[in-house]
Amino acid sequence: MSKIFHVMYDDDAKVMTAAGKLVGQGIRVKDVYSPFPIHGIDPVIGIKRTRLAICSFMYAMTGTSLALLGMWYFMIQDWPMNIGGKPSFSLLENVMAFIPVTFEFSVLCGAHGMAITYLLRNGTLPGMPASNPDPRTTDDKFVVEITTDNNSMSADELEAAIRATDLLELSIKDA
Amino acid sequence: MQREATIREPLILGHKTYKDITDDVVGPIMGPAPLGWKIMITISSLIAVYGVGCILYLLGTGIGTWGLNKTVDWAWDITNFVWWVGIGHAGTLISAVLLLFRQKWRMAINRSAEAMTIFAVIMAAIFPGIHMGRIWVSYWVLPLPNQFGSLWVNFNSPLLWDVFAISTYFSVSLVFWYIGLIPDFATIRDRMTKPLPKKIYSILAFGWSGRAKNWTRFEEVSLVLAGIATPLVFSVHSIVSMDFATSVIPGWHTTIFPPYFVSGAVFSGFAMVLTLLLIMRKAMNLENYIHVKHVEYMNIVIIVTGSIVGVAYLTELFISWYSGVEYESYAFINRFSGPYSWAYWMMMSCNVISPQLFWFKKIRRSLIATFALSIVVNIGMWFERYVIIVTSLHRDYLPSSWGEFHATNIDIGIFIGTIGIFLTLFLAYARFFPVLALNELKTILKSSGESYKNEQAK
Amino acid sequence: MANNKRYWTGLDDLHQTEAFRDFQSQEFPQHKSLDESLSNESLTTANTGRRDFLKFMGFSLAAATLAACETPVVKSIPYTNKPADVTPGVANHYASTFYNGYDYCNVFVKTREGRPIFINNNRKTGVGHANARVNSSVLGLYDSARLLGPRLNGTETTWESIDQYVAAGLKGSGRKVFLTNTILSPSFQRTIQRFCEANGAEHVMVDAISHGALRLAAKKHSGKNVFPSYEFKEATMVASVGADFLGTWGDSAYYEDEWVKTRLPELENMSRLHVFESVMSLTGTNSDHRTMVKPSEQGKVLVAMHELLSQGTQKQFSTGPLAAAIEKAVSDLKKAGRKSLVVSGVNDVEAQLLVADMNRLLGAEGTTVEYRSNQLFQGDDRAFNTLVKDMNEGKVGALLMFDVNPAYNALDKEAFRKGLSNVNTTVYMGGFADETGSRCEALAPTPHWLESWNDLSIDGERVDLVQPTIQPLFKTRPAGESLMAWSQFESDWYTEIRRTFKSDYTSDQMYSDVQWSSCLHDGYYMAKGTKASPVVNPARDRKALQQAKETLLAVKSDSQFELDLYVKMCIGAGEQAGNPMLQETPDPVTKVTWDNYVTMARTDMEAMGLNTYIAQRDKASVVKVTANGKSIELPAFMQPGQAPGTVGIALGYGRGDGGEAIGRAAFQTEENGEYVMTDEGLPMPIGGNVYGFAQMVNDVPRYAAYNVSIEPTGEEYPLAATQIHNTVMDRGSVVKETTLSAFKRESDKPKGLASWNRNHTLTVHEDVNGDGVIDASDDKKTSAFDMWKSHPVEGVGHRWGMTVDLSTCTGCSACVTACHIENNVPVVGKDEVRRHRDMHWLRIDRYYASDWSQEKGEEEGVGVIASYTKMEDPSANPQTVHMPMMCQHCNHAPCETVCPVAATTHSNEGLNQMTYNRCIGTRYCANNCPYKVRRFNWFNYQGYSKFQHSNPAQDSLTRMVLNPDVTVRARGVIEKCSMCIQMIQSSKLEAKKQGVPLTDDMVSCACSDACPTNAISFGDLNDEKSVVSKRSKNNRSYHALEEIGVQPNIFYMTKVRNVDESQA
Repeated sequence: MSKIFHVMYDDDAKVMTAAGKLVGQGIRVKDVYSPFPIHGIDPVIGIKRTRLAICSFMYAMTGTSLALLGMWYFMIQDWPMNIGGKPSFSLLENVMAFIPVTFEFSVLCGAHGMAITYLLRNGTLPGMPASNPDPRTTDDKFVVEITTDNNSMSADELEAAIRATDLLELSIKDA
Repeated sequence: MQREATIREPLILGHKTYKDITDDVVGPIMGPAPLGWKIMITISSLIAVYGVGCILYLLGTGIGTWGLNKTVDWAWDITNFVWWVGIGHAGTLISAVLLLFRQKWRMAINRSAEAMTIFAVIMAAIFPGIHMGRIWVSYWVLPLPNQFGSLWVNFNSPLLWDVFAISTYFSVSLVFWYIGLIPDFATIRDRMTKPLPKKIYSILAFGWSGRAKNWTRFEEVSLVLAGIATPLVFSVHSIVSMDFATSVIPGWHTTIFPPYFVSGAVFSGFAMVLTLLLIMRKAMNLENYIHVKHVEYMNIVIIVTGSIVGVAYLTELFISWYSGVEYESYAFINRFSGPYSWAYWMMMSCNVISPQLFWFKKIRRSLIATFALSIVVNIGMWFERYVIIVTSLHRDYLPSSWGEFHATNIDIGIFIGTIGIFLTLFLAYARFFPVLALNELKTILKSSGESYKNEQAK
Repeated sequence: MANNKRYWTGLDDLHQTEAFRDFQSQEFPQHKSLDESLSNESLTTANTGRRDFLKFMGFSLAAATLAACETPVVKSIPYTNKPADVTPGVANHYASTFYNGYDYCNVFVKTREGRPIFINNNRKTGVGHANARVNSSVLGLYDSARLLGPRLNGTETTWESIDQYVAAGLKGSGRKVFLTNTILSPSFQRTIQRFCEANGAEHVMVDAISHGALRLAAKKHSGKNVFPSYEFKEATMVASVGADFLGTWGDSAYYEDEWVKTRLPELENMSRLHVFESVMSLTGTNSDHRTMVKPSEQGKVLVAMHELLSQGTQKQFSTGPLAAAIEKAVSDLKKAGRKSLVVSGVNDVEAQLLVADMNRLLGAEGTTVEYRSNQLFQGDDRAFNTLVKDMNEGKVGALLMFDVNPAYNALDKEAFRKGLSNVNTTVYMGGFADETGSRCEALAPTPHWLESWNDLSIDGERVDLVQPTIQPLFKTRPAGESLMAWSQFESDWYTEIRRTFKSDYTSDQMYSDVQWSSCLHDGYYMAKGTKASPVVNPARDRKALQQAKETLLAVKSDSQFELDLYVKMCIGAGEQAGNPMLQETPDPVTKVTWDNYVTMARTDMEAMGLNTYIAQRDKASVVKVTANGKSIELPAFMQPGQAPGTVGIALGYGRGDGGEAIGRAAFQTEENGEYVMTDEGLPMPIGGNVYGFAQMVNDVPRYAAYNVSIEPTGEEYPLAATQIHNTVMDRGSVVKETTLSAFKRESDKPKGLASWNRNHTLTVHEDVNGDGVIDASDDKKTSAFDMWKSHPVEGVGHRWGMTVDLSTCTGCSACVTACHIENNVPVVGKDEVRRHRDMHWLRIDRYYASDWSQEKGEEEGVGVIASYTKMEDPSANPQTVHMPMMCQHCNHAPCETVCPVAATTHSNEGLNQMTYNRCIGTRYCANNCPYKVRRFNWFNYQGYSKFQHSNPAQDSLTRMVLNPDVTVRARGVIEKCSMCIQMIQSSKLEAKKQGVPLTDDMVSCACSDACPTNAISFGDLNDEKSVVSKRSKNNRSYHALEEIGVQPNIFYMTKVRNVDESQA
């Protein structure tokens, strides 16, 4: 029968030290809930760097090529017109005029693509239920979540280790 | 945890804890609406209604209800457009550029600055719409497949670049702003007791839980968005300036417009941010978060950009003379000596001379002076656009078609109206949104909070 | 129509008819078969032919109607039987003649679906050219204020009752008078004579604007009571004393192009024009030497000239510029000898006597002036005055009037009005119940000239024909027919006209007389009978001349001001005051629309503290002008070239002072479009009627007053001018002009190298001229600086272009009205014009010379800014340039690039096209147009109440004048000159049908067609043989604003003034 420990701290420094201590004992911390990003906690609890930036770049490149393709089709391929005597013969000759829109469209795709991916990956979408164990974690409290499932130790051993840190509250639930 | 030199002035005054920050910001939202707020929003929404009325009359009767004519085909409409877009830029600049430069003082103001951006860009977007002779076909500016066969838009036209620039700018700023808002909405959600507001805020909070993983992604996204938004904000006003720079009209046909417009935009934007925040910090007693130091920082930006603008003005004059083109030189001589010279000198005194007062530390740190000057600067920047548009057009190449422009009540009504709408939106924001970036402020509390700094000093 | 075609093939195949054979030879059978189907009797036997034919009719008519109005017409009824000569969608032209007692010229009337919609010059067989007044008169046909039928004492009635009333009246006692303007119709003259004999009536003629002095002088001089025939094309030296012969004086519709024929600098002796006048007239703006003289001095100037000619010395003007100018003029005249001409607008017998004698002394009689049989301006002012006297004394029993309006334009109109009420029987024949008509008991409406038959003859030899182009719209009856009815003469008007042509005409010859048909086709015939012989060099009556001089010298003016009553190009004598097109067309000189004003010299205005600058919000100060016991309040307008100490007021205004129905556009409107109301609750007339200020001086009216007082009333009044800035600000590449001698010096230089038309070049850092060194002399033409590989235009298909010769453009504005009528350009009314929102596709920029320039500023050490300010002021007596300005159809059009939706693009025939349907109205193109020729539809002009009284399209009848080939633009779109694309297309079709290449003589634009002087020519620049391509290569031709590199397809040609350097 597995248990979930929600360890609450009242300061980000304490979280850091505590997490360090626990991880040092080979305890896997499942997650940390905090009202603001605690810099430096990720490596401690073993969170890998996100790849959102790369997505964004790829989205932007898609935008770039779409924009260029579109403008080439509209202005040169499908219906070339003599506008102010300017050339409408080849993409190369016209590309100067296309740069602004190309840039804007790339940004558009890059930004929105990434934003949407971000929301999906986070599972944060309109109307989603909140999953933080304690409402205070969005205010000034910090909760470290540890489960027996992803730990080899027994519930009691874990509790002992946790109690050893400078914690504020401890809530133990049955999963 | 990063430390900061103790000599640096603290950014958060008083002995604040994380909780205090939350309380200071969320408290007013949960409490009842103050009387002052009610009065202000009533007035501004009345002005807004008047403006909407004018817009409806314009749409019903025709563009002729404005003072435009065969010689001056743009005047207040595009002036207002550029003015509002310019104001918008400060928000993005503060949140994006300052983020890239890791300027912590931005954190107290970026939320409101971005809100201002969003609302300003909405106001700006009104004008290209209503200035069209046939707004009901305005969707033709999009390259849509259509019943007319192969009928596409003209990608050579700066006006079309505008369409893309403004819409991109608006939507990206909106996303940037909202992503920052999500965690703070969660904070409100978790503290809100009344059921309906709680429901609303929990919808707005997108079910944010503040897991460590979310925070990593959050910071990554903020950083990347800032990286994207920075060139974007520069591109947007450059493109706006190309509406003029790519034309053949003396006074418009000027290659320095892009940088000149961007700095002008930042200039006016910071001024507007100051105007709004100086009121807000009093009204919502945020003196501890937005204090003299922030104001001083912004005033420094104003001196810099203001001086850049001033140099641009002088460069224009010099080049017009140096070019030896009679039309160019006349266009600029006409600016400062012609029928609209009053507007030119208005611009000069407001934009170039008045900001120089900020060289004095006393004035730079005086909130009253800052407030007054911020308004002066905004007036000046409006006149800059007016001068560029109207005085260049009213006397261009052929003296036979030289004319005049005189604003009508509808011109004025719509402009005042947009200010009304803008204030209404901003007041609503101040009432229901977290006006400070809670999650960001909390990260700097220890490094830049007064009390913590004092402890370190010991 | 396919089955139809097959059917014919079969049938004609069978018979091998002529039709079938040439049908086979046709390139476009469809069309051929259609035309046949429309006239082919065998069609009646065809069971499917008619149906197809009806379908076709229905569709094309629907199409035409759709094209003609902004909202689709739901119902459209096809012809059941097609009129023989009407093909829907195809315009018919009829030769006709315009004459209203003032203007006279031959025209072509363009009709569509039986509606006359355009008045064009008859260049093939015509004499004279349609000026603005003439080609705008087509709107008058559709004026809803016209009389719908006969009226008796204000109530609708029948012609019978009118006839009874008149018959009864003619039986009564007292003088029976038939009062008309100058009658030039032989048929009508005969009819009148018959009428007078039958009823013991007498015929009196009076002209709206009297030229009586010329006839009286001609009588004294030559013994013949004729109007002198001036042949300006023969003259190489013309001196005019107050005669605006290019616009409004004499037979101006004939003089203008005749004079211009002598004005090409390429001729080996281009003519020179000296003008002495008080008000800046159109002629004055085109003069080479213009001198300002007060009205009272004009006589003295003539005396001085005469003395210089006869005795070689003059003592009127001791020294000074005036004396010099006179001496110069006379010596020029002497040099030119018999090829010189003196004319004077001074309506004074003595003055005209001197003029006649001067021409005689110069030996000009027989070459430039003739006294033969010219019947123009027979108005007899003395007879008219006695008539008015008798009317007031109750001696007149019956007064019948035709096409006169003395209740408006009589010198003493009050006397006439009072007298009219003493006359028992008063009959009025005319189009409107105007000032005179509304005061008559019987109104016998006559048809508009476009609805009626007539024959007209100036010299009695050439008889010009007027033929109806549409069935009379209302219950009207030609005046001639009325007269016949009232003289119990059994005939009809048409028969009379045929009888004049052929005395033994009977109705069975109606269609059989081929001769007549061909004359009708040409619009004129030569009358049989002997030519009147001209009187040349009659004996001089020295005593009379001496007397004349003494009377002229006796003229005294002791007041500070003198008043000159002049006539405006567009409004003329005021007959067409209700014509919105003419009201909105800016005066060629002042550029003011919709108004009458007092022209004053700057010095005088400044002395009185009046506003000299009039613009959107800067109103004109109102002054009270008092002369001959009469006074009037009008806004004062600063007119460069106005002789100091004189003021000018235009005749022809103040129409409808009783609110008479003379057309909706005749009255002042508020900003909201409603009429301004007088205290009596009547609509306020535009301007003031100043005929009363003229004075009878020995039996002819003198249109001037010598003792005038002027005081400011302190009030202000807005004037609406289409151009508020007077000078060209020293901008060399807008207007290029030079003097004849300078031109001659370099007349053989290739294009772009002569000093007076140098190409605009930019210095480049490469050795262009190959002199081994790279210096400032290494430059290239602006066209060499292209940033991109542009679309090719040279030698690719057609490339429509235009050339405008500034030397021969007189600024008469015929092109302006023609363009606007052809292209349905909206009339927007005074208030919009005041807001610089006139919609003119084609405007004429008028620039005055300024005394100042940047060079002068540098010499005199005046700052640049101050110099620019000084340059804004025109000289006191400036030289003037008229520059027609329309879309330049740039090959690198700035407007096209900036349109976000590609609503304006370049056609592969070099046209800058405007796609109204696509336009979303950002007005970016208008801003980016260096020539400011794009116009925006600020309102829904066809529906918005602000334009209810000004815009023709808001009147269900006047709307019929709209050209179905041109769409009426919607609110919120940009419009501009299309180079009459509809006309280009139709001529392309024509050429295609005929299977011939499109040549110059087949294409034209409304403006180039209308231009009386051929200053504007239109054609294919890629066609080596076309006039435009030749002219565009001429060394006088240049591009306006060449240096901005937009490469227009419109070329201007340097203006050359024949000034004498010693005097210029």
